[in-house]
Amino acid sequence: MKNAMTIHRRDFLKSSILSAAALPLAPQSASAGKAADQPYTCRFYPFTDHPNADTCWSLSVGPDGRIYASACAEGSPGGTVKLMRYNEHADKLDCLFDLADKVDDPGDSGRATQCKIHYSFAPSMSDGLMYMATHLSGPPIDLPTYSPWYSWHDPKRCFRGAALVAYDTRKEAIVWWDTLIPKEGCRCLAFDEDRGMLYALGYPRDHFITYDVKTRRRRDIGRIGSINGQAIFLDKKHRAYTTSDYGHLVRYTPEKDRLEWSPEPLPHDRRNQTGWHSVFYDVVASPDRECVYASTWIPQTRLMRIWPNEAEWPRVEDLGPVTQERDLSFPQSMFVDHCGGLTFAADGKLYYVASRWRDARYNPLPPDHEEREGMVCRLDPGTLKREEVTLLKHPVGTAQYVSRGAVDHHGDLFFGYINHRGKPAGIFKVTMPADRKKENAHLPIRVWG
Amino acid sequence: MAQQTDQPRTDRWNTPEMQAYRREVREATFTKEGMMVAFPTCFPGMTTAIVPDESRITSLDVTPAGVVFGGTSGYRAHLFAAGFHGIMGIVFDLGIVEDATECVAVCCGKTHFAAFVNGPGGGRAIQAPLVRMDSDLIQEWGFQRPTLKDLGQCAAGEPVVHAVADPQSNLIVGTTTKHVFRLSLTTGRIQIVGEAPAGGKLARASARGIVGRDSERTLWHFDVRTSTFRRGALQLPEGEWKQPLSWARDTQSGVLYTADGAGQLYSFDERTGFSRPLGQVPVAPVGPMAVTLDGRVFGFCGEEMARLFCLEPERKKVTPLGGAASVIERRRYGYVFGDAVTGRDGEIIFGENDNGGHLWLYFPSIQAKQAGV
Repeated sequence: MKNAMTIHRRDFLKSSILSAAALPLAPQSASAGKAADQPYTCRFYPFTDHPNADTCWSLSVGPDGRIYASACAEGSPGGTVKLMRYNEHADKLDCLFDLADKVDDPGDSGRATQCKIHYSFAPSMSDGLMYMATHLSGPPIDLPTYSPWYSWHDPKRCFRGAALVAYDTRKEAIVWWDTLIPKEGCRCLAFDEDRGMLYALGYPRDHFITYDVKTRRRRDIGRIGSINGQAIFLDKKHRAYTTSDYGHLVRYTPEKDRLEWSPEPLPHDRRNQTGWHSVFYDVVASPDRECVYASTWIPQTRLMRIWPNEAEWPRVEDLGPVTQERDLSFPQSMFVDHCGGLTFAADGKLYYVASRWRDARYNPLPPDHEEREGMVCRLDPGTLKREEVTLLKHPVGTAQYVSRGAVDHHGDLFFGYINHRGKPAGIFKVTMPADRKKENAHLPIRVWG
Repeated sequence: MAQQTDQPRTDRWNTPEMQAYRREVREATFTKEGMMVAFPTCFPGMTTAIVPDESRITSLDVTPAGVVFGGTSGYRAHLFAAGFHGIMGIVFDLGIVEDATECVAVCCGKTHFAAFVNGPGGGRAIQAPLVRMDSDLIQEWGFQRPTLKDLGQCAAGEPVVHAVADPQSNLIVGTTTKHVFRLSLTTGRIQIVGEAPAGGKLARASARGIVGRDSERTLWHFDVRTSTFRRGALQLPEGEWKQPLSWARDTQSGVLYTADGAGQLYSFDERTGFSRPLGQVPVAPVGPMAVTLDGRVFGFCGEEMARLFCLEPERKKVTPLGGAASVIERRRYGYVFGDAVTGRDGEIIFGENDNGGHLWLYFPSIQAKQAGV
């Protein structure tokens, strides 16, 4: 792997308009930035039409340029997911429907429920469809917890299967639905519109699934490992990429109809990690589609840039860590140390949300900071300089864990966020500075969740 | 859709029943007793593992010294040798068998082993010497890949279904989809000994007879000493017998164990016949199983996401032990298993029939001392 990290974390801090001179992080780093020129404003939109919702595992721009979000209810026995859409005219979220009702698998079925859409929105531009697939984890209505392993052979309790829904954003109607993966949830989804193929990862067995939307035919290509990659991306040759347990790229080439594993693991912290669990968390394509930027689902994730069109296996650049230094002898919580919400905006810059937390030794934030914070960062792909542009501010909870981000057709940023204890659940809108917006900013559209 | 408010939920989900359910899920979902260790198909830290979609482990055998030989299925079939004792700790990829996508049996003889593979041309026997693994794999080592000798098709155009060895006579008996054959590991010669519709695996019984499925209700029998083949020789007990058979053999007594389609377990002694049902596994069908040195039978049952079980034959007791999970060396769930053998010290070695297949070493729990004994 080529290490192109010319911007060290400390350089990042120095280069930021918000930064302090050195560690520990400056007490006013974020607010000082906002005070500098107030370019970005942040607002939280709760899922008021779904009070049981506790998480937003997926947020995406639709083929219509509007923002769709999954109001998930995985913590409530019998809880189900509802589809939300940001109403730019009323400046609020509209609740479109309850997925469970639409796929005839209601929350009181006694089975594990259709409780969420994980990283599984996939828009189709030619016909205005928004594909979405459901995931599991919510317990049956009369049980306190659900384990897909424990209940696999229990026909009364086992999850019926990931429901695939084709929602027509023009007609505002579901045109068809199907079971994408029997008994399993869909961890992430991607759509190759040219070929009409959906690609998915099943949970918990971590199988790679293909689905032809024309014939509605599903194929199980085989197991990858034990830990789902949280994203599948596509390259120009219609190849689908995800990751293995040990941080290797896993590629499905339709012409070969075979999964292949890359020889080298993705960048990780070699001081204390082996590559294990360096599975994709979030992946976004550059606007020219020549490369993708990715974060991994591991503490001290590194930002990386992957060039899939260049060689037999993609060239991978390690762009360095995105979160703070920490005690390597401590198994850092994955709910605290996190990076997600990768998206490109109209200014051609990469935006993402990286967590920051109070740490007595490495980051003794002053009292006016939250224990955990979600920094909205902006990276210049040309110079690799990063800056923190704003903080996500939840009304009662913390907002360090962002699942996905997207830019709508007007060029504003939206982020889905996770914090079970921080009800209400909802999404953030970050209004971009006027000179960093444009119409149809969501194009070329992201085709994976 | 009925949903609960927070307050009643808090009370309702903390009842003793709900707490017990949580505990059950937490403690019984994975490897409830003993220890599972998933070992990759490589020399860890030194070689790459077999390509994931070529590493579905479908056949195993073990030498008296505890060296395991096996074969894989998938995009291509590999043969391997593995050692886990002393200063070994390796799965040695012996090579790819050309034009083979499935290995259905590996049988160890005195100096060589044979693997039975299927491919586009039918089922063939492949012979290779038993590799020595006596290097110090902590310090330094030397290996050489053996030549894999193709002994040809076992029955023209027919896939092989299974085979077992009689180490004493250096003979292997196998089945194709239509025939029963024998292979002498001494001469490398394959002979058809009779016709029989195959149905699952074969087993070496307690008096050196080889048995295999003949019809829905019967077994054929091949006497290794006299080379006598008898169809319809043995009657299966009452039960559902439509599925392919799987077997486990107690190496101390020679007693076999098998299961019907409903998951009822039976023992079979060549001298006394089948037992009455010994117990029922939680989910059918019964997959690979093996017998540890104290007579307990460990195996997997259920499709897609297999569950480990333990049969204590004398107590006629079946204990569900949960799914396979490894947290030593490899962190991995185990879902599908293709074969099982008993290791040198009574550990059970399961071959994982899945992409990225591992050898799963199961160390059964040590039984508590009985009061007053």
